[in-house]
Amino acid sequence: MSRPRLATCLLAVPIGMAGLAGCAVDDTASGGSGQGSGTVVIACTPQEEQCQAMAAAFTKSSGIKATYVRMSSGEGVARLDSAKSKPEFDVLYGGPSDGHVAAAKAGLTEKYVSPEAAKIPDEYKAADGTWTGTYVGALGFCSNKDVLAELGVDAPTSWQDLLDPKLRKNVAIAHPSTSGTSYTAVWTQMVLNGMDEAKTFDYLAKLHQNVLQYSKSGSAPGQMAGRGEVAVGIVFSHDCVKYQKEGFDMLENTFPSEGTGYEVGAVSLVKNGPNAENGKKFIDWTLTPEHQDIGPTVGSFQIPTNPDAKVTEEMVKLDEVNLVDYDAEAAGERKKEITAKFDAEVAPQPKE
Amino acid sequence: MTATLLPGAPAPTEAPAPGRRRSGPRSGRDLTLVATVVVVAVVLVAIVGLPLLRILLAAFSEEGWGIVSSMLTDPVNRRILWNTVQLGVIVSLVGTLVGFVMAYAQVRLDFRGKRIMHLIALMPIVSPPFAVATAAITLFGRNGIVSSDLLGLGVDIYGLGGLVLVLSMSFFPVAYMNLKGMLESLDPSLDEAAALLGASKGKVFRTVTLPMLVPGIAGSVLLLFVESIADLANPLVLGGDYTVLASRAYLAVTGEYNVAGGAAYSLVLLVPALSVFLVQRYWVGRQNVVSVTGKPSGTPELVRTPALRIPILTAAVLVCLLVVTMYSTVVVGGFVKIFGVNNEFTLSHYRFVLAGIGSDAMFTTTLLALVATPLAGILGMLIAWLVVRKLRRTSGLMDFVGMLGLSVPGTVLGIGYAIAFNTPTVFANRQWFPAVAGGSAIFGGAMAIVMVFVARSLPSGQRSGISALQQINPAIDEASTSLGADSLTTFRKVTLPLIRPALLSGLTYAFARSMTTLSPIVFITTPQTKIMTSQILAEVDAGRFGNAFAYCAILIVIVLSVIGLLNLALLHPSLRGVNRR
Repeated sequence: MSRPRLATCLLAVPIGMAGLAGCAVDDTASGGSGQGSGTVVIACTPQEEQCQAMAAAFTKSSGIKATYVRMSSGEGVARLDSAKSKPEFDVLYGGPSDGHVAAAKAGLTEKYVSPEAAKIPDEYKAADGTWTGTYVGALGFCSNKDVLAELGVDAPTSWQDLLDPKLRKNVAIAHPSTSGTSYTAVWTQMVLNGMDEAKTFDYLAKLHQNVLQYSKSGSAPGQMAGRGEVAVGIVFSHDCVKYQKEGFDMLENTFPSEGTGYEVGAVSLVKNGPNAENGKKFIDWTLTPEHQDIGPTVGSFQIPTNPDAKVTEEMVKLDEVNLVDYDAEAAGERKKEITAKFDAEVAPQPKE
Repeated sequence: MTATLLPGAPAPTEAPAPGRRRSGPRSGRDLTLVATVVVVAVVLVAIVGLPLLRILLAAFSEEGWGIVSSMLTDPVNRRILWNTVQLGVIVSLVGTLVGFVMAYAQVRLDFRGKRIMHLIALMPIVSPPFAVATAAITLFGRNGIVSSDLLGLGVDIYGLGGLVLVLSMSFFPVAYMNLKGMLESLDPSLDEAAALLGASKGKVFRTVTLPMLVPGIAGSVLLLFVESIADLANPLVLGGDYTVLASRAYLAVTGEYNVAGGAAYSLVLLVPALSVFLVQRYWVGRQNVVSVTGKPSGTPELVRTPALRIPILTAAVLVCLLVVTMYSTVVVGGFVKIFGVNNEFTLSHYRFVLAGIGSDAMFTTTLLALVATPLAGILGMLIAWLVVRKLRRTSGLMDFVGMLGLSVPGTVLGIGYAIAFNTPTVFANRQWFPAVAGGSAIFGGAMAIVMVFVARSLPSGQRSGISALQQINPAIDEASTSLGADSLTTFRKVTLPLIRPALLSGLTYAFARSMTTLSPIVFITTPQTKIMTSQILAEVDAGRFGNAFAYCAILIVIVLSVIGLLNLALLHPSLRGVNRR
């Protein structure tokens, strides 16, 4: 007696699944246009603490619930690419503008000129409005004094110093395809080598001999140096300062004399994001001092792009550092090609 | 972590006795059976079939095939392939050896603290993949507490050496569980006979015990091989310049969204994994006749010869010490600022995890694992039942597909999910599934995660279900059927209660596995559904080990408490009974 009933029930499962399929499509289709007020979803590339503090502050000030996923910037762009047909994020926040250029070029983000962007100096925003800078940072060498002393090496003050055989397997840098930090370093070499790709890769191949491991996220090498796993980590100097403040007091930050690269940490609007209006509101907010003053409170000492935001003494003084002429547009254009080449030719090579 | 993948279970195809069941009534009468088969098949296709199909298609695309075909010609790819195989071989040998020593000590030696040693040996099963790696860097790294501060050595843990250490530590429990079950079920009368004939203990061990264990050892070696070539977390954390296929595929997808590349590396990873799995199932499985003949006729005599006892016990104790040291590091590391650098007490890591993003991930992960666990348990039992009792020609196929979730490397499964489910599944102009993975999918992508959990964890239940069912006389089923119950009623009222221990072990492992799985998950976490293991990866990668330790400790506590509750609820003596036949 119970047999037919059970059979019906069981057969109902696949049918139910098909039904669910139908409903779900309607759901999301209507959800996209109807929402508007509730949330904003951010692909956040700075360090976790900063993302956390930022999302909380935005939610508090706007009433819009901000959720984020912390990703390295290369990873963030790849994520946008993977969900291109149905974006899950509204805003790509942080990371060198190169990545934002690459994302715009791939059609993943769209132009948005925020009313707040008027305050931001021209060198910190895209001419075509695809991205706007919210902070600036310069690449440096974050060294562990104790390990350097053991190895009998001085803190590196040039890119050539990093090739010292004494530093074999004692340098750490992130992988340029996941990390914007690392790509900034790669492009800096392009600039220093007069855009000669062969010379640049020659340098990178030599550096590879001294690199212990390519991490996924750009700031990790600073931690590795702090724990004494390596002598030198190539990171943005603000990350080194952060680690010093967190208790790695043996860390020392130096800059290469030939010139170093810098990032304009940017923010851009994801194309067809689920909450585009909130995304715009979020971008407006990131350009205000209210947002840009949060960094120092959580140990993130990037330089704010808004002239009204506070500059603290921990922040790097850009006029004291030799900066290369960094063209983020050109860097972004060639990002995919150069990282793919690095991935294929440099990263998997064995060490001699 | 696949401890119940028993090589002891014989190939299920040979199970049903011929002529026992009439094939006639299958057509119309037993509609429930047909329905069950259809449902199980549909579910299996959805959770493993489709992602695999899509990854194959991507790998055979023009770009993907270029990479696949360059595997042996291109020196870089050849090295990656060689690294992967080399790592797999070494870890499978070392891990099996460690597992054997521990199992032998447990079953055949007499010493105090057996129970503790057993629990220590199981620790790695319930812990997330980074606990060991992170602890290993802290202890044995360049500036490690043991290697540098205590011993003053400049050991280099990054690369092959470190990977072997960490992977063997993580996977030896699999070998341990298999070999322990096997040693326990060996008929001691054979040893006794040899001893009576005048053979020394050592000779008995070499000429009697060891040969009987060969299938079990081979099975463990093969399993560990698959596990270690599939591992993603550890090569990412301490691979150094030692690139393996899994980490290469991961970088291609996460760094460049090069799906064709990711799929191509996955395919190369899939081939050895699947072939090893097939060998393990259909060759080693068949070799194994000893352990299924029945229960041992007596308790094995404990080995007391010092020549055997002392070295084995010493080795076992050393392994235990290592495990304990590693996990103590996890516990202590969560409470100090920077373990080994600045050992000041702090609660900030726990605050970071519990007050911030962690609480969210903790809740979501536990909830999804709890949803997946019963599904995986029931599905595993259903498959076992169909395979052993109901299906004939197709039973081998269903068994194989059910096991795919585990035999396919996690990286491959994850990339397959990302390709297959980020967009709605459309076939012949009709939509069959909505997008289930990704942040814009239904339930914020949670459904895909539950599907992965089920796919990854159902095989352990299926395995233990199959071996349990083979112990039960089919006449009991038949009695129920001839009294008028249909197949499903028989399953619910007769079979399921009989195989409850197997169900319990299936559930236990399903939960532990769901909570600790990483490699497929990293590809499909979304802004709405944050999963603990991928959060831990982020912490470890960013170098915030303290936070990672706190996370790991919390995860272990959750897993242990749920397993404890589960065991209490089903009134069964904990993990210990899992491997008993």
